[in-house]
Amino acid sequence: MAEEEKKFERGTQLSIFVSDRFEDVGALIAACLIAFGVLLYVGK
Amino acid sequence: MIYTHRSPALLIIGIVMLAWGWLNQSGAADGLQAWLHPGVYKEHKQAVEKHQAAEKAAADKAAAEGQPAAEAKAMKPGKFDALKAGQAQFATIFGGIFCVIGLLVLAMKPKEGHLDYYISIFPGMAFILSIAFVVRWGLDPMFANWGKAALPTLGWDFAKILNLNYVVLGIVIGMIVVNVFRIPGWAANGVRTARFFLKTGVVLLGTLYSAAELAQLGALSVVMIGVFVLGSVWLVLLAGPRMGASNSMTGVLSSGVGVCGVSAAVAASPVVNAKAVDIAFTLGTILLWGVLCMFIFPTIGHLLGMGPVQFGAWAGTGILNSAQVAGAALAFDPHGIQTLKVAEIFNITRVLFLPIIVVWLAAWYVKREAGAQKINLSQVLVAKFPVFVLGFLGLFILSTMGVFAPAGHYQGKYFSSTEIKEDKLLKEKDIAALQAALPKVTAPEDNRALQDLIANKKLATREQDVLLRGVAKMEGLDKGAKDALGNAHKAAWHDSKIIKAYRDWIAWLFAFGLTGLGMQITVASIKQAGGKPLIIGSAVGLIKAIGSLIVVLLFVREFV
Repeated sequence: MAEEEKKFERGTQLSIFVSDRFEDVGALIAACLIAFGVLLYVGK
Repeated sequence: MIYTHRSPALLIIGIVMLAWGWLNQSGAADGLQAWLHPGVYKEHKQAVEKHQAAEKAAADKAAAEGQPAAEAKAMKPGKFDALKAGQAQFATIFGGIFCVIGLLVLAMKPKEGHLDYYISIFPGMAFILSIAFVVRWGLDPMFANWGKAALPTLGWDFAKILNLNYVVLGIVIGMIVVNVFRIPGWAANGVRTARFFLKTGVVLLGTLYSAAELAQLGALSVVMIGVFVLGSVWLVLLAGPRMGASNSMTGVLSSGVGVCGVSAAVAASPVVNAKAVDIAFTLGTILLWGVLCMFIFPTIGHLLGMGPVQFGAWAGTGILNSAQVAGAALAFDPHGIQTLKVAEIFNITRVLFLPIIVVWLAAWYVKREAGAQKINLSQVLVAKFPVFVLGFLGLFILSTMGVFAPAGHYQGKYFSSTEIKEDKLLKEKDIAALQAALPKVTAPEDNRALQDLIANKKLATREQDVLLRGVAKMEGLDKGAKDALGNAHKAAWHDSKIIKAYRDWIAWLFAFGLTGLGMQITVASIKQAGGKPLIIGSAVGLIKAIGSLIVVLLFVREFV
């Protein structure tokens, strides 16, 4: 029961991610999606 | 643990956003928009009157000739229409998403798990975004209008000098919310997304750079940053032990003050075996000093008449924390992105010094603490290096290769003589002013370029543009000729549509991130900066700020 509760305690004080590294990778993926999404939508 | 609060807040925010979208789409908000944007509205009104007069003249002509009246032509949408359409689209999309998730929040019985966790983020994000909307679409133009209105009385534009724009206002409102009203429970989880969006904005900035501009900033950037980063670390390492601060506190503080604030302090902490209290005090110091700089730097920049490149270089070198660097750059130049770009180049360059600092600190700490544990430096680097910086570099490389915009673009603009529109060619009065200036331009190359400009009424090559930019700065040239050269330059440089779209995305990501950042600046965190670290950090921060200001004023020049 105690383990089950711990499993869903996520994030850090300043982030919703489990670690800074996850946040960094998430930001990197999000920025690439935006960059290529805009490239497809707006065109060069 | 259940994260989602069953609150109607998200649904209400969604409905308000949808209503704002509808008001803009239907024209019901035209009065308010005209009040907020008087300049754009005046242009719109003039265009409408011109269009109506042309329609009436065509109808009268047809009637006089006994012909049936031609069908009325639709008016080409102008800036005012684009402004309303943009807000309507943005508010409708987000309003719709928030309404759907808001209904889900009310309908579902949250169960512990990932779904509950991710849904709990939306109310807080909607909370920040709604504040960012009010600030960017309402308060920002309102203060800009008040600043201009007070100009004749005060003699200075208080909104510009005090940087009362969407960035500063967003952070101030965020600080007021957290310290006066407290962040509502249903919004708490979403507020923690602020840093993620800031980092996303930093990575996306890579799309705006090309090697052409980095080549001009690069060497200076690296030398300046190197001197100030390593110099600041050295000063803290010297001052800390003399002021009685512990080795671990000194180590974390030196990295935080020298490199890029929070991430650097956290990255250095395992190297010097830092305690939690060391990190907390360092972060408090960096945050307080960074916030102070964010408010003071833009005002000094405006008072000294600094240009975007100079200010960007200063902010990117002198301000301790990445978020505050972005805040100060946007506060200085909220409607352009040039300052932010230069500041971020300097800021990102200093992050690249982190491995050197880590190695240095490890050696310093091991030397001072005879009993320090052995630390694997390569492991620390692999574990702590901010990966998002690699994303910035990746997008920068793609941008340099011309993947996103013309490869030769500079700050989102590119040179093209063939794309100059008929109405942007030099007018008769410009030509007359340039002809009058011709005898004053004695250098043969410059004179030939000016003659070509007069003959073609537009710039033909980028080389001509470079030569004539120099001519425009010549002493003794009259204002008419300078204006004509300026017009020719502006007509030949075009905004890349895709770069404009990236700029919008980055501005929103930063507006969101900085409003959320404001909500993390509590009185307690400011109080936490008290004591020795505050004195050491502030002293070194001040030396760094003044030193970099002098170097920037002496060696950094605007080049566009």
